[in-house]
Amino acid sequence: MSAGARVLIIDDEEIVLDVCREILEGDNYTVATAPDGAQGLSLAEEFGPDVVFVDLKMPGLSGFEVLERLRTRDPSIVPIVITGYATLASAVEAMQKGAYDFVPKPFTPEEFRLITRRALEKRRLVRETIALRREQEMLRENFAAIVAHELKAPLAAVQQNLLLLTVELADRLTDAQKERLARLRSRLDDLLKMIDTWLRAISADLGKIRERFLPTDVAGVIAKAVETVQPYAARKDIEITQALPPSLPAVHGDEGTLGEALTNVLSNAVKYSYAGGKVGVSARVDDERILIAVTDAGVGIAPDELPYIFGDFYRGRAGVTGEAGAGLGLAVTRRIVEAHGGTITAESMPGKGSTFVITLPVRRAAEAARDRPEAQNRPVAPLGGAV
Amino acid sequence: MSEKARVLIIDDDPDFVDGIRGVLEAAGYQVDAVYNPKAGFEALKRRPPDLLLLDILMGRGAEGVMLARKMRKDPQLSQIPTLIITGLREQIAFLFPGQAVHPHILAVDELMEKPVDPQLLLDRVKALLDAAARRRVAG
Repeated sequence: MSAGARVLIIDDEEIVLDVCREILEGDNYTVATAPDGAQGLSLAEEFGPDVVFVDLKMPGLSGFEVLERLRTRDPSIVPIVITGYATLASAVEAMQKGAYDFVPKPFTPEEFRLITRRALEKRRLVRETIALRREQEMLRENFAAIVAHELKAPLAAVQQNLLLLTVELADRLTDAQKERLARLRSRLDDLLKMIDTWLRAISADLGKIRERFLPTDVAGVIAKAVETVQPYAARKDIEITQALPPSLPAVHGDEGTLGEALTNVLSNAVKYSYAGGKVGVSARVDDERILIAVTDAGVGIAPDELPYIFGDFYRGRAGVTGEAGAGLGLAVTRRIVEAHGGTITAESMPGKGSTFVITLPVRRAAEAARDRPEAQNRPVAPLGGAV
Repeated sequence: MSEKARVLIIDDDPDFVDGIRGVLEAAGYQVDAVYNPKAGFEALKRRPPDLLLLDILMGRGAEGVMLARKMRKDPQLSQIPTLIITGLREQIAFLFPGQAVHPHILAVDELMEKPVDPQLLLDRVKALLDAAARRRVAG
């Protein structure tokens, strides 16, 4: 990238500026010069240099200050200090402060060219790295949206037409054919659910949700979660009962992910319930903590499975109607709850049902917990080697 | 409902629309479909349907949401019962934090996730139309 590369030289010695300009212009660089730090900085603004040479010893603004201000404005500019033998120690100091290289005076044209070429190579690498990183961030941020649309939309369209065919052909198909159609639908359903769960696990940086914690109304979160699950419960004739105190204190948290956590637990309760059964949601305050319990009278969880249900990729034995998931729902739920400084536990009796309890610190305690970094780092580890 | 109720579908996926249209037509509804938000808005203005099925994630981003916002500003269109159908999973309610229970992008709306169970779709459509009829009687 040497042709047309832009080099700015800041030095109070006119002779140095002239010599440098002469050397570089012969090599097709675009060169600008400034006799002191202040003028150099304002020139850098409009000139947009790739590389800046700064003399360390100048009247007025010191070379160090110029370096620092250059770096804060554009960290991708490659700064190089020019220094006499007497200030070699400061050259080292300058490099410690972020200068990429130094040119000791006096220097030969060849030395100067070499250092410039190296600096430009560095500049190219820095810019490539920045561009790559930006691309990765974009991809990561938009991954969920891209996949949701590109992958899910065709599957949903196929499923919708299968559903229609099922209705349209109801009196023309044999039972075996109907059964096959039902299996097709169920496989597609699993696939759609798996995409949702994987998307969630990949795209959500749960460590970051703390940055947008706000005072959050737990009763509102519960109401939304119940409403979300309601249609699925109604299809299985399951009643969701609520026992909430007249008022609940706020938690310090993120409404979206908390709601998702609760929705996960509630839909599990519905999924593993028998048709016509009941699912109960209750909440109470105990010692600066809010306890939310979700109870079902469904199939339950075997004692030997119970310790593993919050781990990644754990899949429960099939639900009442043979439903199966990707095995990430409760793992994501646990991460969300722990990011809020809370806990989630489960008790279960096979054949009798399960109770999941989410405990969240009420707002004051939660805010204090933010000052304890070890409590923050532990719970939200990334998915174990999965993504 | 002696007349056939008119349902308008605005969704950019023709295959998905076919899957929905068949269910609704079999149940006796008269169905029209438009495949982009711009034409959708024009169709709404030209002849407001009894019920709108709206995909809110059309095109790049959420053009359907923009359409819904435009509808909300229009006194006539904002009263059309609207069933919002989206590829987003059920947490969509949580994409609109701070609202009581339901985003209510429009004054009258209901949310469903793609793909839609045919019976559930018919139940919701009927409920919305019945509620609209009751409002008309009351009003």
